[in-house]
Amino acid sequence: MLKWYEQVGMEPENNYISSRIRLARNWNEYNFPNKLDVIAGGEMVERLEYGLKDLGEMEEEKFLSTTLDKIPETEKAAMRERRVINSAIAGKNSPTGLMLSESEDISIVFNGDDHIRMQLLAPNQNLNSLWEKADKLDDYINARFGYAYDEKYGYLTSFPTNVGTGMRANIVVHLPALSSGKQFPNLIAQMTRFGVAIRGVYGEGRENYGSFYDISNAKTLGMSEREIMDLVTKVASQLNSQENQVRAMSLKNHKTERQDEAYKSYGLMKYARKLSMRDALTFLSQVIAGISDGIIATKKPCSLYKMVLGIQPSNLMLNRGEPQDKGNLDILRAEYIRKELPELKENDIPEQGEGKEETNG
Amino acid sequence: MLCERCKIREATIQYTEVVNGVKKEHNFCTQCAREMNFGDVSAIFDSEFPFSKILSALLGEEGKNENADLAQIVCPTCHTTYQEFVENSRFGCPDCYEVFDILISDSIKQLQGSDQHKGKRPKYGLKMTAESRITEKSETDESPAKEKKPAGKSSAVSSAGKPDPERAERIGEIRALKKKLKEAIRDEQYEVAAKCRDRIKELEKDGSDKKNGGGADHAEMV
Repeated sequence: MLKWYEQVGMEPENNYISSRIRLARNWNEYNFPNKLDVIAGGEMVERLEYGLKDLGEMEEEKFLSTTLDKIPETEKAAMRERRVINSAIAGKNSPTGLMLSESEDISIVFNGDDHIRMQLLAPNQNLNSLWEKADKLDDYINARFGYAYDEKYGYLTSFPTNVGTGMRANIVVHLPALSSGKQFPNLIAQMTRFGVAIRGVYGEGRENYGSFYDISNAKTLGMSEREIMDLVTKVASQLNSQENQVRAMSLKNHKTERQDEAYKSYGLMKYARKLSMRDALTFLSQVIAGISDGIIATKKPCSLYKMVLGIQPSNLMLNRGEPQDKGNLDILRAEYIRKELPELKENDIPEQGEGKEETNG
Repeated sequence: MLCERCKIREATIQYTEVVNGVKKEHNFCTQCAREMNFGDVSAIFDSEFPFSKILSALLGEEGKNENADLAQIVCPTCHTTYQEFVENSRFGCPDCYEVFDILISDSIKQLQGSDQHKGKRPKYGLKMTAESRITEKSETDESPAKEKKPAGKSSAVSSAGKPDPERAERIGEIRALKKKLKEAIRDEQYEVAAKCRDRIKELEKDGSDKKNGGGADHAEMV
């Protein structure tokens, strides 16, 4: 079965990468995880997983049901890179349960920050259908386990930042052209004023390798689920259409340069023997933009987004084996990319006439 | 300007140091700032929970000025102290919300922009609160749906265990409005109070209309 991230399309004018909904819930019979001892926590995880053992039938998908202590460290880190679990949970020692669907589109973590953390992921922009699924899953769990709920504060959570709906809705958009503009930080600051958080997905500090941006709701209380989704969708579609405008302009005025960028990036990835995370993400980003703009094409339809996840350190190690030292990770990365990079359609190299004139003039 | 420590990334943090009256300014990037130890301020650069710690910051400043009695408040269920909560921004159990309510509701409002939940309610297993029980009684004495309900069970869950989200939402809204009304009167905002009063009347009328109109059908439907 294909994982959800292997289905991320690269259609023109659709720069949405993924959508995600997370719901935090707590069972009203237990203290929150940080005030729950190991024995009670273990018992609770067992009861939760037992109570939901038939979840696969409802979702019509196979589920893995396990606890995090049974998962090897590298695999756990790889799951964190794929966003199945978050870093707070990955580093926890107390008993933590995990139910994960085969395509990794649904994951439920028990006894993490909260008793129950449901997460649903989907390729591209799919928040509405995700919410339908999340709502159903939430009712399914609620029918078996009573939730901690208050008329004033809504669903009660460990952290006051999640209280209310307990919902975080995210959309990841790919903004390679828009983010290279000088006005971009301003634009982001303006968008933030609507009550969303916008973060670069990969990179350190202010740098964002690959230009993937994650948009999520900043607040969880006083806004209904529908309002939260509308807000995130609106901001994401605003950024998507602005990206489209800049891309259309660059295609019109700098087509040769854009082609050059896409082909060079492809060529570097195809033949490089060492690739850092930063380089790999930058080149992948260029090729993804090129494919969705139709200036470079692969022989078969494919998803390059799975490579964005595949080149992350732990996923690489899982795929290609542990390297001797850190430098070797770049070698592994280049190997992985050479293997995974799809072939280009040869007869599809567009004529250069139009572009040439522009460079001369 | 580049970070003076790594000289690679753009400096985004200006750190002013005053030692023996001599002022020195430093410029660092976020990554270097995180790696260096700035004492209490370092938490800001910790990227794991930047948002949730805001509450600690909000409460921490106030907490220092208030008397020490507040720090002594302890949740009877999970033994989380107010001090502990201020430090970690983390509740220990559902009851903490009630125990610390007066202390934190303003800060939660600052943090979330609201202190009243809106949206989905659990369909199953709600415990009934005292206030909604009263509203329910005065509202639904003749309701056929009510007779079927086992005592002590949720106000929003009928005998079949199925919910009536619309009514539950109404009860929630009435409750919130009553609270707002009280506050408005206290603050002498009579215009707001009048609006609240009218809306409460409207909602209560709505509820009884529905019951008189199609109580039996309604009960069948849910």
